[in-house]
Amino acid sequence: MLNVNQEQTTAINPITVEVIASAFASTVEEMGEALVRASYSTNIKERRDCSTALFDANGAMLCQAEHIPMHLGSFIGFIPYVMKTPGLENIKPGDIFIGNDAYEGGGTHLPDIVMASPIFVENRLMAWAINTAHHSDFADRGHAHIYQEGLRIPPVRLYREGVLQEDIQRLFLLNCQVPHERVSDLRAQMAANRLGITRVNELCEKYGLDTVLAAGAELMNYAERKMRLGIAAIPDGTYSFKDRFDSESLVGELEFGVTIEVRGDEMHLDFVSPPQVRAGLNVVYTALLATVYYAVKSIVDPTILPNAGLARPIHVTAEEGSLLRCGHPAAVDGRITACQRVVDLIHGAFAQVIPHRVTAASNGSVGVASFNGTRPDKSLWVYLETIGGGSGARCNKDGLDGVHVHMTNTSNLPVEALENEYPITLLRYELVDGSGGAGTFRGGMGLRRVYRAQADCRVQVMGSRLISAPWGIDGGLEGARGYFSLNGNRDVFVDGSVDLKAGDLLEIVTPGAGGYGAPAGRAKTEVERDVREGRMTAGEAASLYS
Amino acid sequence: MVWRIGVDSGGTFTDVCLFEETTGEVKIWKVSSTPDDPSRGITQGVEEGIREVGTTAADVAFLGHGTTVATNALIQGRGVETGLITTDGFRDLLEIGRQKRPDLYDIQADKPDTLVSRDLRIGVKERVLSNGETETSLDEEEFRAAVRELKKAGVKSVAVCFLYSFLNSEHEAIAGRILEEEFPEAFSALSHRIAPEFREFERLSTTVVNAYLGPVMKGYVNALSGKLKNLGISVAPQLTQSNGGVIGFDAAADLPVRTVLSGPSTGVVAAQAIGRMTGIENLITFDMGGTSSDVALLTGGKCQVVNESVVHGYPIKAPMLDIHTVGAGGGSIAYVDNGGFLKVGPRSAGANPGPSCYGLGNPEPTVTDANVLLQTQNPKYLLNGRMKIDQELSRAAIQTLADKLGMGVLETANGILDIVAANMAKAIRVISVQRGHDPREYTMVAFGGAGPVHAARLAKELGMKRILIPRTPGVLCALGLLMTDLRTDFSSTQLTRLDEASADGIGEIYAALEAKAYAWFDSEGIAPQAQQISRTVDVRYAGQNYEISVPVPAGAVTTATFAAIEEAFLNAHRQLYGFIAEGEPVQMVTFRLAASGLVEKAQFQPAEIEGPDSSAAITGSREVWMMEAGGFVTATLYDRAKLKAGNVVHGPAIIDQMDTTSVVPMDTTATVDAYLNLMLEAK
Repeated sequence: MLNVNQEQTTAINPITVEVIASAFASTVEEMGEALVRASYSTNIKERRDCSTALFDANGAMLCQAEHIPMHLGSFIGFIPYVMKTPGLENIKPGDIFIGNDAYEGGGTHLPDIVMASPIFVENRLMAWAINTAHHSDFADRGHAHIYQEGLRIPPVRLYREGVLQEDIQRLFLLNCQVPHERVSDLRAQMAANRLGITRVNELCEKYGLDTVLAAGAELMNYAERKMRLGIAAIPDGTYSFKDRFDSESLVGELEFGVTIEVRGDEMHLDFVSPPQVRAGLNVVYTALLATVYYAVKSIVDPTILPNAGLARPIHVTAEEGSLLRCGHPAAVDGRITACQRVVDLIHGAFAQVIPHRVTAASNGSVGVASFNGTRPDKSLWVYLETIGGGSGARCNKDGLDGVHVHMTNTSNLPVEALENEYPITLLRYELVDGSGGAGTFRGGMGLRRVYRAQADCRVQVMGSRLISAPWGIDGGLEGARGYFSLNGNRDVFVDGSVDLKAGDLLEIVTPGAGGYGAPAGRAKTEVERDVREGRMTAGEAASLYS
Repeated sequence: MVWRIGVDSGGTFTDVCLFEETTGEVKIWKVSSTPDDPSRGITQGVEEGIREVGTTAADVAFLGHGTTVATNALIQGRGVETGLITTDGFRDLLEIGRQKRPDLYDIQADKPDTLVSRDLRIGVKERVLSNGETETSLDEEEFRAAVRELKKAGVKSVAVCFLYSFLNSEHEAIAGRILEEEFPEAFSALSHRIAPEFREFERLSTTVVNAYLGPVMKGYVNALSGKLKNLGISVAPQLTQSNGGVIGFDAAADLPVRTVLSGPSTGVVAAQAIGRMTGIENLITFDMGGTSSDVALLTGGKCQVVNESVVHGYPIKAPMLDIHTVGAGGGSIAYVDNGGFLKVGPRSAGANPGPSCYGLGNPEPTVTDANVLLQTQNPKYLLNGRMKIDQELSRAAIQTLADKLGMGVLETANGILDIVAANMAKAIRVISVQRGHDPREYTMVAFGGAGPVHAARLAKELGMKRILIPRTPGVLCALGLLMTDLRTDFSSTQLTRLDEASADGIGEIYAALEAKAYAWFDSEGIAPQAQQISRTVDVRYAGQNYEISVPVPAGAVTTATFAAIEEAFLNAHRQLYGFIAEGEPVQMVTFRLAASGLVEKAQFQPAEIEGPDSSAAITGSREVWMMEAGGFVTATLYDRAKLKAGNVVHGPAIIDQMDTTSVVPMDTTATVDAYLNLMLEAK
């Protein structure tokens, strides 16, 4: 997505381009299904925390499946890195690269393991099948710097010309807490890429390599055209917004800001944030880019094809070494929390000029609970889950209650799967009454999950909007904050971590979201319905909506 | 005279297909549907059909019926006010679902409406653990109070879904008893009876959909059976389910969730029967209508049954034929988007105003307009001359797109058809290549009003060599009703590692399912010689969460049974994912049993094969755009009704009949078989 040659287009029938676009889209979706279905870890097989894509030989994205927007960040740095090291001439059919590092190879945090397979057609490297899966491992680690966060893997060959490099695999597995899941999930990742290679070869056989390449280039131009049209529809000007950021692993709050300059059909976004911190909250540049591309696309035109072309009219700056564009050796494990707030910043800035296209602040975090412990047979177990929250109210309707917003969209794990695999019992999973910000249109409600440990274990929780609340727009009020408690006590977590004894109750409450428009403007029937449905009390209704 | 009748009630028309068992006579009758109360249109159609063939209601030996009542009530939110009782702490699960948002990028998108409002969802104290043990017994008084509260609120239907009810149904059984005591007039749905399978949200969703639709279906079925009885039809009518089988009206009213995809399933059943008739067992069905199209794959004469699907946004765990729907049909609108690309659908011009050529004021070109302009469809009339159209209006509409694209008007029309074919091909790839089947080894069965028009282009896109166009492609669903068996499905989820399974234990599971099947045979009055049972089991590697359904050999369960299951699983896994995990334990998850009551089916008699000369059926010629030529060529026109068995038609040709138009490309030959199907084969 970084080095795209805009001039490489040859004339090609737009109908053929459309037909090839649909083949690309079905290929990446099919890769994703294979990955999910063949995998073993709950984080992939049920929660679908994985993504698949095709890239061209220049390292520009041809198509990404609709999975997790955050994962784009891991993709856009990976292929360009491999093209340099080991270099094009050393890449052979049957090679499979894996990597995860944020500073050497384009990853955004260590659990997201990228796997890329070169696609050769007529002895020429013409594309890449690539996927990333969030391996729920590297649990209970420190986050002062990246060396504490897990094994750093630059893009290396797990397979060379179809032969497994057992040394590499053993080195990797020794550094994992749940090696059996890791090796099974890697197998599922390979199945996905194998499909990608087959499908692209079939496509080239049918249409010819040159046509497929030309269609890929034209699809990027198409995405670029649509993005430019979308930006051009926004009045020229400079729009700024500031917000406060907090986290379980920070003391107090930090300030984030953005200044967006729209000129004609291009935009420039400049982010201001404090120097990188000794906590796993820092964001590498590719993760910032992925976040901006998601936010701008969803505001400007959600139908723009997810390929490298959409990035061309968007320019992103941030000071190197700042939290939102960190450098080695900053810790990055929880970068998504900060990225969620980057999306809110962009909505806040655009609220000044295209208020009907944005939402009030969403829950502004990704509620995370990462459990780990030892099974009776002495093997280790790790269970990670992320919890949705409120989605911001819109200019003409309420926000969504209890959903994942923006940079992630993973599923929950069914209770009947969770309890079967881990020594945890789920006691409650519900919407949080009164958590949606009041407004003409109400903000979405947060979620509450209450767990009971069935055996001694340890948990690390993550979240944001614990101090500041998700803001409203145009007179809409703020949504509720989030919190964590152990047996009702909120002060026992150290950097989010705490030991659980069998029988302990852990409660996670995620934030709601901001409202849109003054509460007085809300239809009386809607207020009455919210009271009847217990989404707020009659007392709250009287004080907020009178 | 013994007549069998199939009635397919759609949104616009109700198709009645009558078949006489001794002579093999087939008669089609069409009446307008009556959407406010479909039973009126159906009764009228049956009455007129019977009169048309000159028989009496007493001679009707079978009446099968496909309905969209359940589907439409779900889409249009016309189910009944429903209450829900869950395990305490989980009443919001219905709304939260899998916590994913409805669209990844579109922040304006909304979730489908929650079918039970939050004030009618009540949690009660009870808890079963993952091993099936009860930790907290159901608080019966609390449950009773909840039922009273729902009754007071005026609900018509109550759904109950407790955690792990698929393992231990005790609490739901008590709930059922209390409901019967406190609120017998309400429709009730207990999750362990509706979908006794793991994953609580999907089970809950299925149970709620069933409760929401139950009273609607019950009312409909009662109205229709009364009217049919009044006509003098003495045979018990049957209703189609999403699994392609039919079931008695009472059973259908209890489990309406199993009929939500009944519409397209009978078309697949008909294709299956035609495949059997012609000896072709590997088929891909392509049913293209006005607003949407359905595709399905049949291997070895059978369509795979899937056990879960998302229907109109609601997850449903019920056996359904693996049918994929694409939001594109003849009425789909073509447009150029702001990035300069040509797109087709999902917006449709419907029947009114319809395509531009209808002259009812729609300026936007549809797929039909492209066919009219290219003259693949008659440029002057539709419906065998009954409806006049204006080709110039089609041209004008497509010209606006051509101007935006900088292409010629004919190339643009051709492009519209290419994009439609690409969209359909994408759906067919999902059911074929993604499941490890190569479409080039399959024959396409094209039906629906628009299927035979587009079949050749689609087949070419997929590299398919043969297309079968049935005798009555426009009313194949009604015909399918005469060819389907009674069928119902039973299942039981019990996680069991294959290497730890005991033959006795698994035998008992199947024995329990069989007992249910025999009870059903009794209730439907199915004679012993017509009873058939088949068993499958959903298998995965222990650790995975998606299963592959494999057959379980008939007979007593032994270690050989387990060996057969393992082998079938490993083969399927390799075919789907390209690998097997040596040494990893294999786990059985859900045991399934399908019970069929074999029905005497319509048997078509082969006609005498006459010579290849088809000239007697020629009605003229016209210029038709053929994609192989990239322009207009002169095509011979044929009347399908005059084609005889054995006749051969060489492309370029157009074969017209009342309910559709078949396109025979230049490099293709169409042969009429003994059952009057058209078989198109590319040279």
